[in-house]
Amino acid sequence: MITGLLAGALQMSTPLMMGALAEVYAERTGVMIIAIEGIFLLGAWGGFVAAYSTGSMMLGLLAAMAIGTATALVYGIFTVKLKQHQIVTGTAINIFAAGLGIFLYRVFFGVPLLPLTVDPLERIAVPGLSSIPVIGEALFHQNALTYLAWALIPVGYWVLYKTQLGLILRSTGENPEAVDAAGIKVETVRFGTVLAAGALDGLAGAFYSLGFLGMYTNDIIGGRGWIAFAICFLGNWNPMGVLVGALVFGLADAMAIQLQTSGVTLVPNEFLIAMPYILTIVATVARKRFNVPATLGVPYEKERR
Amino acid sequence: MADMKSTERKGAGAVFWPLFSVFMGLAASGLMMTLLGADPIEVYRRIFAMAFRDGYNVADIFAKATPLILTGLAFGFAFRANLFNIGAQGQFYLGCVASVWCALRLGHLSPWLVLPLCVLLAAAAGGAWASLVGFAKARFNSSEFLISMMSTYVALALMNFLLRGPLREAKGEYPQTDVISEGSWIPQLIPHTRLHWGFVLALAAAALAWFILWRTSLGYRIRAVGMNRDAARYAGMDSGKIFVIVFAVSGAFAGLAGFTEVNGIQHMLVQGFSPMVGAEGIGIAILGNAHPLGIVLAAILFGALQVGGNLAVQTSGVPASIVGIMEGFVMLFVILSYALQIRLASARSKRKAREEGDRR
Repeated sequence: MITGLLAGALQMSTPLMMGALAEVYAERTGVMIIAIEGIFLLGAWGGFVAAYSTGSMMLGLLAAMAIGTATALVYGIFTVKLKQHQIVTGTAINIFAAGLGIFLYRVFFGVPLLPLTVDPLERIAVPGLSSIPVIGEALFHQNALTYLAWALIPVGYWVLYKTQLGLILRSTGENPEAVDAAGIKVETVRFGTVLAAGALDGLAGAFYSLGFLGMYTNDIIGGRGWIAFAICFLGNWNPMGVLVGALVFGLADAMAIQLQTSGVTLVPNEFLIAMPYILTIVATVARKRFNVPATLGVPYEKERR
Repeated sequence: MADMKSTERKGAGAVFWPLFSVFMGLAASGLMMTLLGADPIEVYRRIFAMAFRDGYNVADIFAKATPLILTGLAFGFAFRANLFNIGAQGQFYLGCVASVWCALRLGHLSPWLVLPLCVLLAAAAGGAWASLVGFAKARFNSSEFLISMMSTYVALALMNFLLRGPLREAKGEYPQTDVISEGSWIPQLIPHTRLHWGFVLALAAAALAWFILWRTSLGYRIRAVGMNRDAARYAGMDSGKIFVIVFAVSGAFAGLAGFTEVNGIQHMLVQGFSPMVGAEGIGIAILGNAHPLGIVLAAILFGALQVGGNLAVQTSGVPASIVGIMEGFVMLFVILSYALQIRLASARSKRKAREEGDRR
């Protein structure tokens, strides 16, 4: 029971970790990826379609990253190049993606009688470690995306705080004028980061269709993109904060799923389903101080210096 | 949002740019249809023909527009204060719950009593829920965007819980309520159509929004906070109070949309119906430049697309979700048109400056 719950928590925290980390990178440079819910959805869709039609998981994951990047490209053109409002643009893309997911599924597959499925991503047991009692099975018998997400957190920390690149990323969000004066193009940094975040978000979306369910449904994301968005916030724009946040929300998600399937009715299912969202609201309100990047959501205008 | 405010449009531009966005959006959707092997001209001809085929369909356009006007107002009203109410869907659902509860419990009373009570409860439910978001913003400086978004999923779970338990139909078969008594149905505006007096209510709400925003001192303060929060504070305005009021009014509009759908169209509450009216309201408000009149017109346009689109796709082999794509494209082109206008305006002012320089 505990092993199962722990394993489920790690599993469900995987895409949240990836999405929130992508958000950290982008927001550190000053751009919120409001389109995250739509990118998750299209990533889940693209990954499934590619994996289903080629039979290759690898191609599925690559396709998810490609479609995530393509969506982020549109978002970047509107928000970074044309300097339009991020919330409005992101909302438009989210509406668009919701329609597009259903539309393209229909274009590719018509109306199948039974939902189409693929075998979900294989779980890899780490030799030795996976036989540790209780936690071994949970920690070291996961699919490749989960291991990847765990690896990306320390890498993210290292990149942001220990490298030249990280310094540039952080400065772009805090003081774009200084970055500009140092001869680095603010728009290029932001655009590049948005594209990279899009690839990671697409991969996170594909986790739901390929790593977890093995199929695509219209409500497969169901607001989890927003939870990843919120975790970046609550994690104070820090990869370590993201780690903690993703685990907490992954646990809530896993509990909702497990109690739903086990038929135990201690509390209404709906309460558990709403739990991550309530947690986010409470945490957002309770949080006293944030290290909000100074120019978050503000387009950079060179001439206005 | 500086860009959208600075292009407060007057005269020809106010008509031209929305039309431009709509046209480009439909053209782009047409390109998608050709990918499917469909002939977009033919599909659009059918959409138009279906939407205006007979009186019933034309009336249906306005019936579809009714909740969209209200959710458009929900976003647009807050937008005028530079606040983002992304949670209209949740406020809408709570309006539905309040309204159906009122109709089920008090449906035996006179319609003259039940209907106003439903209106009040629906508006109060949506308004109270949303004002919590405004309160969190005012008191804790929390992101209203994030909280209103999250609160939608909480409202959805709450509605589903009620439908599975306390409000479930007497037969207990499906997660839905019983049909409400006929006395609590909104009377039809035109007999033998689905158009009901809720449409008039929505128009009245738009008029009220216009009146509040441009004819009262409260509206002046709301717009001042929207233009420049710091300047408004220096002028002694309590922006926290404004946040709560704006969200309460905004949520009340969305709650009313719940009333018009439950008592006017559905006559019961079914799990998961109208899942997009909140999001569509955002598109409508942006297309209508967050002006009540623009919102009404944009909602009627989206209504026509939905009526014509849903009927036309049954015969054209294009999936019904193309309607959502059209709406998404139109929205993106609206944003693009803002960028274009700014480019054009700055090119114009540069040219002017150059000409003046030549003259000297």
